[in-house]
Amino acid sequence: MLRFFIRISAFISKELAEILRQTPLILTLVLGPFLILLLFGIGYRSEARPLRTIFVVDGNSEMKQQVEEYAKNLGPQLIYKGITSDQDAAIRDLRRGVVDVVVVVPPDATKTIQNNQQAVVTLYHNEIDPYQASYVEAFGEAYIGAFNQRLLHSATTQGQQEASSIQETVQTTRSSVQSLKQAMDQGGITAVQPDKKEMVVKMENDLTSLETQLNEFESMTPSVMIAPFKSEIKGLVNINLTPAGFFAPAVVILLLQHLAVTFASLAIVRERRSGIVELFRVSPLGSFEILTGKYISYLIIGGILAVAITATVVLGLRVPMQGSWGDYAVVILVLLFTSLGLGFLISLIAKTDMQAVQYAMFLLLGSIFFSGFFLDLRYLWEPVRVISWVLPATYGIKMLQDTALRGAPINALVLFSLLGIGVGLFMISWLLLRRRLALSV
Amino acid sequence: MAKPTKIDGPIIWGRDITKEIGEHSIIQQLNLDIPRGLIFGFIGPSGCGKTTTIRLLTGVYRPSSGEMRVIGKHPMNFTPHDREKIGYMPQNFTLYPDLTVWENLSFAASIYGVGSGRGARIRQLLDFTELHEDRRKLARQISGGMQRRLSLAATLVHRPELLFLDEPTAGVDPVLRRKFWDYFEELRHEGVTLFVTTQYVSEAAYCDLVGIMVEGNLLAVDTPEGLRRSALGGEVVILKTQEYLADTYIAMIDQLPFVRAKTSRNSENEVSIVVDEASTAMPALVEWCAEHNLSVDSIQAYLAPFDDVFVALIKKLSKDT
Repeated sequence: MLRFFIRISAFISKELAEILRQTPLILTLVLGPFLILLLFGIGYRSEARPLRTIFVVDGNSEMKQQVEEYAKNLGPQLIYKGITSDQDAAIRDLRRGVVDVVVVVPPDATKTIQNNQQAVVTLYHNEIDPYQASYVEAFGEAYIGAFNQRLLHSATTQGQQEASSIQETVQTTRSSVQSLKQAMDQGGITAVQPDKKEMVVKMENDLTSLETQLNEFESMTPSVMIAPFKSEIKGLVNINLTPAGFFAPAVVILLLQHLAVTFASLAIVRERRSGIVELFRVSPLGSFEILTGKYISYLIIGGILAVAITATVVLGLRVPMQGSWGDYAVVILVLLFTSLGLGFLISLIAKTDMQAVQYAMFLLLGSIFFSGFFLDLRYLWEPVRVISWVLPATYGIKMLQDTALRGAPINALVLFSLLGIGVGLFMISWLLLRRRLALSV
Repeated sequence: MAKPTKIDGPIIWGRDITKEIGEHSIIQQLNLDIPRGLIFGFIGPSGCGKTTTIRLLTGVYRPSSGEMRVIGKHPMNFTPHDREKIGYMPQNFTLYPDLTVWENLSFAASIYGVGSGRGARIRQLLDFTELHEDRRKLARQISGGMQRRLSLAATLVHRPELLFLDEPTAGVDPVLRRKFWDYFEELRHEGVTLFVTTQYVSEAAYCDLVGIMVEGNLLAVDTPEGLRRSALGGEVVILKTQEYLADTYIAMIDQLPFVRAKTSRNSENEVSIVVDEASTAMPALVEWCAEHNLSVDSIQAYLAPFDDVFVALIKKLSKDT
């Protein structure tokens, strides 16, 4: 029996000794996820996102002044970016991301309402995320509701003012009637007295005016009366995405980044541990040749995987492809190149396979939280967004959503930034590998 | 083998090479003169500095002091072209376990830039190392001995003119060890220079020149015979007579001009005599026996095992220093 426990103790002591000797690994395992959560907690802004809004109002519209006046006081969720009469310019700003919403006020709003119809205020947005689109929709409804309320308030005030003039008319008519009654009581109206005739004509006019106003009031549809304006939401991207469809490009990017990082992170650390690096040192091989060879091979593997994943997403999940396949391929290629750079860097820093895999997982976890995969980057505190823009996935997700879902061309700044990071990582990996291949002592 | 590089003097030359790692002196005042086209055996116990010497000579380590030339150049100044002339087989199997035998050889050929005729060369090496049948097996599926042969084949794939083999026979069974030395001999016939380290002292017999390394010091460099002679003081002849060999006879033998050391008695009628040269001493001894009415039962030159030679040499050199 004692031997049974002694045999078990062999593994207890061996495993403990092995694990405890890998302090950096344990620290990464324990502290890594906590650090990510801490940063996410610091960076995440839970309040509703204010929308930068530009209003399009016809230069001659009587609404211009009202819109200007109201827009500036519609609460913190609306960042007023001005009024323009150039709708095309406003839409261009929306496409460029300068504003979040374009509100187009109809030029003939008053006439439309007078015609007993709700005037339609159109809100344009450039969201493809169904949740963000719903948010803009709710935002539009809330603000048009508030606008209507203000109009109603103003109309009521105006109505009350008009009511006092009606009261005056009624008073005048009543005194005219009194005077006619007195005349009739004193002797009757036997002959047409010119002043009384004038009085009757005025009474008639007043009553006609009253009747007209009452008819107008009566004929007004209650819904137009309480909500003269209604909102209509239009997205620049004419696509109806399900949440799965929206997340598909981000999943493709995250998967490819993780695969590339994991493959590359194991590539050099394994060779270092196997001892073949000594063979490389004696051979005519240079670090550039080794690294370039590895990059090309993993780009080929990554490319094949990308084709398989894309086929699954497009054919299996029926996610539409709005843009050009060429742009799509460029995004994937640059993403793989940069992710491989990160992987090789890990491979050159890590001491063991386990450490390399752990670092790769750490990177995946960080990417899930900070790359805009499940949470729009606009909800992150700006200083924390620096982490986002260190991750290749952030660039990849943005570009792939743009090209695949919006059908927009690749944003050159984003593409070259990612490529720049990739080239930087290549250079660092090259230098590190050179140092490793050079004299060990 | 590729066309040999024209150099004056030995293919490996070194003077006062030392290597210190931290505070430890690994190699001390190493001097080497290894001519082209022979097998240089570098013999010594584990941890004596054999691998460090190879790493210095291949440019993996920078020497702490001293001068050296390998194929006419300091290893620190090797160009990729110079490195193509060198083959290196590390102590452990370092190739890729998940590649087949053929793929590993193809990889080795690629890193040395072997383009045309690669297939033929690999087939030739597979035949040479008797791995042809196993060429499609993964490296991890073949035996340890086959992995050593695969390593050797990978080292030869680019036809180097100078080979560094770090304990190629370590952990290999005697039959395969013998086969390895046959390979080395064949390579030497092709003009390749081999620098072979080994812990097996007996393997010195297969070398043209042997260096004995102990604790970072190169104690001796000589031919195997020279070392044997140096260890034992000359060649040994064992003389067996039919009669009892009295001490007076042994004293007389010691007085003979070709006898180099005190004769030792093995039995009543057998002695070991250290002589200048066994081939000339044996007829003289037979003649001497006849003169003294002693019937020779047998007389033969004795080749002391290198294990004994090594121990004797270490003792002798330690005493000298």
